[in-house]
Amino acid sequence: MTLFSESGGITRRQFFKGSGILLVSAVITGIFAKIGFDASAASDEYINKRIAAMYTLDEKMTLRKSHLNPEIAQIYKDFLSPGEVKPLTEKSERLLHTKYGKDIPALIEELKKPHEPGAQPGANHAA
Amino acid sequence: MSDVKGKVLKHGDSTRTMHWVHLLCFIILGLTGIGFYWEIGFIENIFGGGANASLVHRWAGVVFLAGPLLYIFFNFNRFARFMDTISHITKDDVGWLKVMGGYLPFIKVDQVPPQDKYNAGQKMLGWLIIIGCLLMILTGFPMWLWRDAVPAVFLSLCYNVHFWTAIILILLVGGHFFLAAIHPKSRVEFSSMMLDGYIDAEISAHHNEKWFKELKQDA
Repeated sequence: MTLFSESGGITRRQFFKGSGILLVSAVITGIFAKIGFDASAASDEYINKRIAAMYTLDEKMTLRKSHLNPEIAQIYKDFLSPGEVKPLTEKSERLLHTKYGKDIPALIEELKKPHEPGAQPGANHAA
Repeated sequence: MSDVKGKVLKHGDSTRTMHWVHLLCFIILGLTGIGFYWEIGFIENIFGGGANASLVHRWAGVVFLAGPLLYIFFNFNRFARFMDTISHITKDDVGWLKVMGGYLPFIKVDQVPPQDKYNAGQKMLGWLIIIGCLLMILTGFPMWLWRDAVPAVFLSLCYNVHFWTAIILILLVGGHFFLAAIHPKSRVEFSSMMLDGYIDAEISAHHNEKWFKELKQDA
């Protein structure tokens, strides 16, 4: 049986066409990659500037820790934990802590209830 | 025509391997892409859920790019001949397109113009696959690697181009599969690309007359 197959070599025209499409593809990919790398570098630079700005702002603050803030301590002494500075009381948790996600509907329902005179905020709140 | 005997090696080992790798990647990419674009749970679950489907999609994309690159690197001569064939458009190709190669039942054809190793339709498909794959790669990698860095409008453009190119490629590959594996006039091509690489010389002499003449001269 006769077997036919192509010869292994290529002509000059075939070489230039093969190289040409590779070159065009490489140039297009290179341009795209350049845009991407530049954007990525610009993004990193922006993030680093933001980080530096946040740290600088923080360093310039007179009071940098909330538990050392005399006004906060006074609020605890007067209202949240009368007579002392005691964090995480039921009242402080209820008034100062934020609720998220699945806890929100229950909070909304609780807030809808009419306020009873004399009742302590968070009296039925399980922290 | 019937006096032509023998076999023609149409697609070599490396070409068939690359075609298989690209086909498998394309199926995985298409399935995972469809799965998480339309949030089709059972497709995502084939790949271990949405997050895993996304991961499989990305790494299949890497193989989808690496496969042809390795093929070109180790088989530049084959690649160069392929590019030469699909970029060499002659009057015969225009004539083939006018009658759509005789594949459409409502176009009566007495004689289809002689064709190269690839007919005019396959040449067009070749270009569309190359351009399509380039677009998929060029839009896919920024969506993966630079999604937090590039402007939102650019990312949105990537998503749209990626999606519509994928749709067109899936339709093209579907048509390619129908003609290469199912259509009675051309399904003999299937085994030459998917199995042993050989096709009857008689069929080549008929479907790829110009190419077969070159082979006979070289023989």
